Amino acid sequence: MRDISLVRILPVEPRVPFISARLVAGVISIIAVIISMTLFITKGLNYGLDFTGGVVTTVDFGVEPPADVQNFVQTRFEGSQVQNISQPAGSLIDHDYLRISLPLQIEEGGSDDASADGEAERQAQTDAQQVAQAALFEALEGQYDNLKLISTETVSGKVSGELRRKGLIAVVLALGLVLAYIWFRFEWQFGLGAVAALLHDVILTLGVFELFQIEFNLAIIAAILTIVGYSLNDTVIVYDRIRENLRKYKKMPLAEVINISINDTLSRTILTSMTTLLALTALYVLGGPGLEGFSFAMIWGVIVGTYSSIFVASPLLLVLKLKRGSRIDAPKDDVAKTV
Amino acid sequence: MLFFSRWKTIFIVGLVALGIILAAPNVMNSDTRAKLPTFLQKTINLGLDLQGGAHMLLEVDLSSVLQQALVNERTGILTEFRDANPRIQGDQIRIQNGLVVGRLRNAADQDRALAVLQEMSTPVDPTQIGSPRRTEVTSVGNDGFSVRITDAQIEAIRKRTIEQSIEVLRDRIDPSGTTEMTLVREGDDRILLQVPGAKNIDEIKAAINRTANLSFHLVHPDSNQERALAQAVQTFDPETGDARLASIGTRYFPHQDTAGGLIVEESTRITGECLENSSPGVHPDNGSAIVNFSFNFRCSRLFGEMTAKNIGKPFAVVLDGEIITAPNIRGAITGGRGFIEGSFTPDSASELSRLLNAGALPAKLVIVEERTVSAELGEASIRAGQVASIIGLMGVAAFMWLSYGLRFGTIANLALATNIGLIAAALTVLGATLTLPGIAGIILTIGMAVDANVLIFERIREETHNGRPPVSAIETGYRRSLAPILDANITTLIAAITLYFVGSGPVRGFAVTLAIGIVTSVFTAVVFARLLTATWLRGTRPKSLPI
Repeated sequence: MRDISLVRILPVEPRVPFISARLVAGVISIIAVIISMTLFITKGLNYGLDFTGGVVTTVDFGVEPPADVQNFVQTRFEGSQVQNISQPAGSLIDHDYLRISLPLQIEEGGSDDASADGEAERQAQTDAQQVAQAALFEALEGQYDNLKLISTETVSGKVSGELRRKGLIAVVLALGLVLAYIWFRFEWQFGLGAVAALLHDVILTLGVFELFQIEFNLAIIAAILTIVGYSLNDTVIVYDRIRENLRKYKKMPLAEVINISINDTLSRTILTSMTTLLALTALYVLGGPGLEGFSFAMIWGVIVGTYSSIFVASPLLLVLKLKRGSRIDAPKDDVAKTV
Repeated sequence: MLFFSRWKTIFIVGLVALGIILAAPNVMNSDTRAKLPTFLQKTINLGLDLQGGAHMLLEVDLSSVLQQALVNERTGILTEFRDANPRIQGDQIRIQNGLVVGRLRNAADQDRALAVLQEMSTPVDPTQIGSPRRTEVTSVGNDGFSVRITDAQIEAIRKRTIEQSIEVLRDRIDPSGTTEMTLVREGDDRILLQVPGAKNIDEIKAAINRTANLSFHLVHPDSNQERALAQAVQTFDPETGDARLASIGTRYFPHQDTAGGLIVEESTRITGECLENSSPGVHPDNGSAIVNFSFNFRCSRLFGEMTAKNIGKPFAVVLDGEIITAPNIRGAITGGRGFIEGSFTPDSASELSRLLNAGALPAKLVIVEERTVSAELGEASIRAGQVASIIGLMGVAAFMWLSYGLRFGTIANLALATNIGLIAAALTVLGATLTLPGIAGIILTIGMAVDANVLIFERIREETHNGRPPVSAIETGYRRSLAPILDANITTLIAAITLYFVGSGPVRGFAVTLAIGIVTSVFTAVVFARLLTATWLRGTRPKSLPI
């Protein structure tokens, strides 16, 4: 029986000169990172409710949201944002919801201490949020018929500050632990290279969020950590092969060993990226508005992560001057491979 | 690597079968599920973002409780000094910067005073040997002292306050105990409240916002002095409840309805704790709504004595810092029964009596985070998630078949399907909560789960290319890819675990599904798929590999 397996199209031993493109890639990466950082300063992230605090209300008008509602809300509530939320594919509802966010940032100084002042201030803020939310709904109800509250979210300034801090800790901690693990399993150059590649991915992902001003919320932190996981996955696979090939080709120059290793794992890199992107695209298109930002971040992250393990993580080993032969404990099956 | 002992085979197949059996109830409709034995009826918990409901994070205002603890400490010190023999003459004993500080008229009294204070500093937990003390006493100069509440005592107060708050809230929101709500301590001074499918959000908020702190106070004669009262009204601070008062031991409360308030005796022994029961009722004379109450035995006596001694004088009923009513005492009330009349409606009367029955919250609660999702939005999210998962799954499966052909493609896809089953089973058994980001995690796992298989197959392809015969190529392929698979997945697992411990709410749901997905995908690719491959090899003994 003949079997179709398209994987045969991919050569088993491709010899794409990735490593000679390392200078070009390095320049591209550095420019991209600088642009991301500049964007962070000039445009900044479009923090969602989770990180700014405030009130977000989603309303169902029973029909498409009226055209004048944006004006209506924005004249009455200063600084509010009005946004149509489209329904996910396959939904039975044929009209958009309306999402109204009221940022309520009463700047609070030193509310971390449990002083009576901080407590009172927080209380005042929470009250203000509840009042604003009630006022908003009342105003809308007075103006339009058949209003239905779909979801409401209120996050106080204190909690949002905490969430921001926790998110940052999560990313930094994850990077640190991963660095430790890879250092333990490989050489320190590998650990450093992997973390540099991860930082590169995280910064570029943030860059896309800055560029398109996509809402940056808690779920995006999760997405970023998953990107960290994915990109790492990719990097470790290549590194593992580099380590193996370093033992196999003892005399070959390091650059060449790295290039062979990238090529050895190339078909796997392509296939896995394809399946992951397939699943994520389904999520992006069909997953509904709740997951749009998340899946967008992931799709971008997979692309950047794949790029970085080939063009950033691996060439960095050259830059970091990986020493050869420092690991004598070559696995036994390498010695006895005469089958 | 390709030999599996019989027991190992049975174990692996059994594990997979068990996973599928445990996951199966999730896809049945509720009628079919009801016919299953009870241990199989468990399904995956849906997060509030998927089933609709209210999620609130409440912060307990501990500062007021700690302040009260200081006030009590000061009162205790004053009483002990007075009762000491001979009496200790204290001077300017007051609360300052979270300490009770004071001086003594006679420096000679200092040693005795310190001894008394030490005596008062009982262990935090008397049942425990070596338990830390409640307070820490230090001498100041040669005639002063300061008393600090120890961290251990603050922690005990914090714990007790939160536990009590949780109990009271449970009684208030769900007196019948029928709702599946979550009410747990979170962090240092927060309570997480989750009510699935909640429609009466406003009622819940009302139950949280009212502390329902009830007390009965005698009205102080200062209330009749215009200057004293005017000064109190003008200096009254609604945030802290403080006002400048003419006499010591008095307190000013505003009236709930009318503009003016009253100055009352600060100390009282008739508080909400006295209540045995309360119920809404109708005034016998004018038919207005009232709240009936009955006191427990101890308070009935106290209340009897208080009313007997003060016939003709007014007393104030204070609820949450506001006077509801201030009637004149017409006669001694000895039965411990009575009613409160104010400007109640039948609804507000029954709400108040319900709150009183549940007890007072020991501290004020502030809603610091609130998220509500309507049931229909939750349903829409689930449907979208389902559609995306199925399409994603089909896409990946088709891709694998196209790439690796019928045999290896089938092995990979069987492993993938098993993986999904095992994730569902793990979520069901662990009682983990599936959230919207959690669904994303599963879909992502679908994409990434085949990675391990791809790695193995690519290795096999390489080994075949290097001239190994099929069995040897497969054997080596599996063995050589084990290390990179483990390394790659452990690193991702580290990220997932970090996310779980540092993240909060829905993000945790995502971390759980991601972590479970990593473990199950390694198992299905490295163990289960290997078993399938070995079985296929034994059955067909191919001369060349279709890869």
